[in-house]
Amino acid sequence: MIHMQTLISGFKTTLSNILNNKQTFFLSVATITISIFILGLFLMLFVNLNGFLSKWNRQVQLMAYLNDDITKSQREALVDIISKSPNVESYLEVSREEAWAEFQSNMSENLKPLLDLDFNPLPASYKIKFHDVENRLVFIRELSEILKTKKGIESVEYGEEWISRFEKFMVFSKVFLFAMGGLLCFGLTLIVSNTIRLSIYSRQDEIELMLLIGATPRFVKIPFLLEGMFQGFVGSVLALFLVGGVHYYLKNEFQSSLDSMAIKFNFISEPFLIGLVGLSVFVGLMASYISTFQFLRMLNKK
Amino acid sequence: MIQIFDVVKMYDGSNPVLDNVSMEIAKGEFVFLTGPSGAGKTTVLKILFGWERFEKGQVLVHGINVGKLTHRNIYTLRRSMGVVFQDYKLLPNKTVFENVSFAQEVIGRDRKTIRFKTWEALKNVGLSPKKDIYPAYLSGGEQQRIAIARAMVNEPSIILADEPTGNLDPDISIEIFRLFEEMNKKGATIIFATHSQDIVRLGNHRVINLNRGKVVAS
Ligand SMILES: Nc1ncnc2c1ncn2[C@@H]1O[C@H](COP(=O)(O)OP(=O)(O)OP(=O)(O)O)[C@@H](O)[C@H]1O
Ligand SMILES: [Mg+2]
Repeated sequence: MIHMQTLISGFKTTLSNILNNKQTFFLSVATITISIFILGLFLMLFVNLNGFLSKWNRQVQLMAYLNDDITKSQREALVDIISKSPNVESYLEVSREEAWAEFQSNMSENLKPLLDLDFNPLPASYKIKFHDVENRLVFIRELSEILKTKKGIESVEYGEEWISRFEKFMVFSKVFLFAMGGLLCFGLTLIVSNTIRLSIYSRQDEIELMLLIGATPRFVKIPFLLEGMFQGFVGSVLALFLVGGVHYYLKNEFQSSLDSMAIKFNFISEPFLIGLVGLSVFVGLMASYISTFQFLRMLNKK
Repeated sequence: MIQIFDVVKMYDGSNPVLDNVSMEIAKGEFVFLTGPSGAGKTTVLKILFGWERFEKGQVLVHGINVGKLTHRNIYTLRRSMGVVFQDYKLLPNKTVFENVSFAQEVIGRDRKTIRFKTWEALKNVGLSPKKDIYPAYLSGGEQQRIAIARAMVNEPSIILADEPTGNLDPDISIEIFRLFEEMNKKGATIIFATHSQDIVRLGNHRVINLNRGKVVAS
């Protein structure tokens, strides 16, 4: 266990390290801030796209349009397939008349005269809703493949193309986000560990003396580990405030136009915020650990 | 308490600085380690507190095999020792008081004990009036006394003093020498490295004489 007093005296040393090397400290923190800011921006974008997609996903239903000359037994066969399909929540039969009525009611008033047809062009259909499960698209796809081959079906529709493109894009975004995060963390590790190295070298004599008079390696390391973690913390919190500022600006600027599409522009959610700060603190810890490890190994080789 | 058997130390890998050195020092003993400059006195002390490794031989302190200690557990050995370094090793950005209390912070003593013991140690070496001064503003003798206060403040069972009277005028040397005798009376084992025969003559203690890395008299 680490003694409370050890931590306090470690933190004092940390503070004086920072005051002694203000410039490198601020440079290091600024680098962290910029990196986490970029990562945060992309994350915010991703989270919103993702939220938009899943909301939209939930509304996706399978429309099976029927031939006008479908027979009763064909209908029964279709209903049998649909009701026995996995994850189907409900299905609704929409007659040609109902479809036409719904179409007209959705029509804006000034367009109505243009569509004053004397026949009903719309087919009857089955509106199939699926349970809200993770991979519902797989089930939708499966059922649509089956229905397509059946007699009495004119066409099947669920915005297939769009969805698969969007999905691919989300996968790409995820990979991109992870790759960028990884790269940034790697760069940050190098930069922070360099700052900590400077801190260590400015206290080289003191560290050597501490070890000579019986300090444990851990006692020697603590102030520098704290310094690395502190840099990560300050840098990421600053970055998230910046992301918050960008969010505030964009929301004020564009929310009214987003409202019309019933889209909400969200800030990064709490778990992700904590995750980003945690990641940054962890990078700081790793970086300073590397530096202290290298330094102590060098001292011991002497 | 301290046993050194046939130790060979080479800094450059070929010329031994210590050449089959052996010595044994009993608990509570006061010994002088003498010899001309370059004889290997400092090297012997450095090996004793695990700052230098050695090529051959065996070193036991309190029965601990020093050569087998790793950098992770060597602090246990060092905490049983107080070392007065030949070059003092004071921290220039800490005051006299802070330099002495630092040695206790490092081993995790609590605040109250630290304050009390630091006062006591500074009083013993006659430096309490200068407790808030930085080492750079003190004379060589005063700096040496800080180093001594720091070495004794944790009440170690072994004190290694490397030329603690080097470059001091005789009056102060005698004063400092008496400090070590006092610690010895309180039970500490003391190895006092010096090349000054005047100091050796001051006390009636065993002398281990090194020359060119060999023990020539004991
Ligand atoms: N770190 C080192 N690297 C290489 N050689 C060293 C090192 N330290 C000491 N030596 C050599 O080892 C020999 C013994 O040195 P040591 O410091 O032990 O002598 P000493 O008896 O303490 O001398 P002095 O009375 O001058 O302090 C000397 O020849 C010195 O040059
Ligand atoms: Mg010497």
